[in-house]
Amino acid sequence: MAVRSRPDGAGRSRSWRWTALTGVALLLLVTIHMVAHHFVVEEIGGLRTYRQVLDYIATPVIFVIEGVFLAVVTVHAMLGLRSVLLDLGMSERRRRLLDRALVALGIVTVVYGFVLIGVLASRA
Amino acid sequence: MTTKGGSTRRLLLHRYRRGDAEPHIEEHDVPADEGTTVLAALRWIQLHRDPSLGLRHSCFHASCGTCGVRVNGREHLACVTMLADHEGTIAVDPIANLPVSHDVVVDMQPFFARFPDQHPIVRASEPLPHADATDAADGIDEHERFEDCIECGLCLSACPIAATDATYLGPAALAYAQRLLEEPRGTDREAILDWADQVNAAWGCHAAFECTEACPSDVRPAQRIMALRRELRRRRRRQGREVPEPENGTARP
Amino acid sequence: MRGSRGGRERDPGVEEILRGRRGEGPISRKAPGPVAWFDVRSMTTGHLAFSIHRITGIGIVFYLYLHLAVLSMLLGGEDAWSGFLELATTPLFLGLDVILVFGLLVHGLNGTRLALVGSGFVADHQKALFWSGMAFGAILLLYAALHVFTAGD
Repeated sequence: MAVRSRPDGAGRSRSWRWTALTGVALLLLVTIHMVAHHFVVEEIGGLRTYRQVLDYIATPVIFVIEGVFLAVVTVHAMLGLRSVLLDLGMSERRRRLLDRALVALGIVTVVYGFVLIGVLASRA
Repeated sequence: MTTKGGSTRRLLLHRYRRGDAEPHIEEHDVPADEGTTVLAALRWIQLHRDPSLGLRHSCFHASCGTCGVRVNGREHLACVTMLADHEGTIAVDPIANLPVSHDVVVDMQPFFARFPDQHPIVRASEPLPHADATDAADGIDEHERFEDCIECGLCLSACPIAATDATYLGPAALAYAQRLLEEPRGTDREAILDWADQVNAAWGCHAAFECTEACPSDVRPAQRIMALRRELRRRRRRQGREVPEPENGTARP
Repeated sequence: MRGSRGGRERDPGVEEILRGRRGEGPISRKAPGPVAWFDVRSMTTGHLAFSIHRITGIGIVFYLYLHLAVLSMLLGGEDAWSGFLELATTPLFLGLDVILVFGLLVHGLNGTRLALVGSGFVADHQKALFWSGMAFGAILLLYAALHVFTAGD
């Protein structure tokens, strides 16, 4: 058996740890997100108007927090999906294909999200 | 026909013979009293109704692990499970996630194939360190203790991950690995940890704890899998990132 | 451990297990495929927790993309967003918001339990952890539901 300097992710040992770590981070980030979006504005449902959304997302600290939230939730979601799909039982080749597909989906999601909030922030 | 104790109970029995297109269910009315076990009921059917009924049993007292079945969907050892503890008709099926050989008998080979290479069929413990003549009963000089696990397969049957992933090594094999870490006695600890640190081994468990619920021998396989993970994390901290890894990244039995 | 036989597409681990099968009998199953994950018949606490964690997780992933799609309406300007706000403040939609909060609470609180139990801590108390987490979540859900339906009144 070859000794490798770093596990290449073929095992799930790292993914479980990162799922747990991102999950713990999300306990805080989701709370912040939900409070900020639904418990601050005194409108029905706590929802902001168009102008309020733009002003909110243009605030640098908010932009960073929401960006981090997006990245963390996407990583957690991709790892969770991976976990569910792996439980269906698959060969090493299919597992590698799945990993590549989820990495691609995750990147597209985060990039799209950042572009979205970037465009909105620029309109404020 | 379905009253408890001293009357008759209706069993819905899983029947399958090699060559059948698919299994079918048979109804049998079996005389029963408060102390009639599922195994006794099955043997009654075999003796009085259908001698072709396939069932597997040995010790009659929950120590051999041979007679595992599902009773109304839950895993039990037939020899110590009372009909009286179940209301209404009683469905008896083979344990799950293993190939059916005959009626309620499953092929246990895939169960044993999941264990690590260093798994002997029977393993005796060394005499317990604290055991001495004062602890022993009259006429017994020393204790020998065997594993709690009787390799009945009920845990694998109960596991929702084993239900969909044939590569998942499952509770019995993983719990056994953790026991080897507790009492190595010449076992290569690092090889066991390598074996466990894979996608279809210790990290495949999703903490449903059905294995612990099903276990008739207090092995507590789910807790042992979590303890195995704790050992894996300790090893990572101890060794950094240098972890010997099988080439395809999955644990092979 | 057995050596690798690399270079083959099929996973040797799976193959070795399947090779153990002598007969041609069907695999005994409690339920077909992934249905077994959600089979509520005689389900124990840990299995219930696993099932609802999986359902809420899949639901939240679905919501993630739904949410991104909804937020993309902001790109359509004030009118497009105002149209959405009218829909989003209807009782049915607010009810869906409460279901979302339920899913987030269940997944988050049970996830905390999983992180603790799966790390090897307090595995013996997994049932108590689950039910106390759900009780706490129920209180939070009640508060959130009240706020969702009464904010802005």
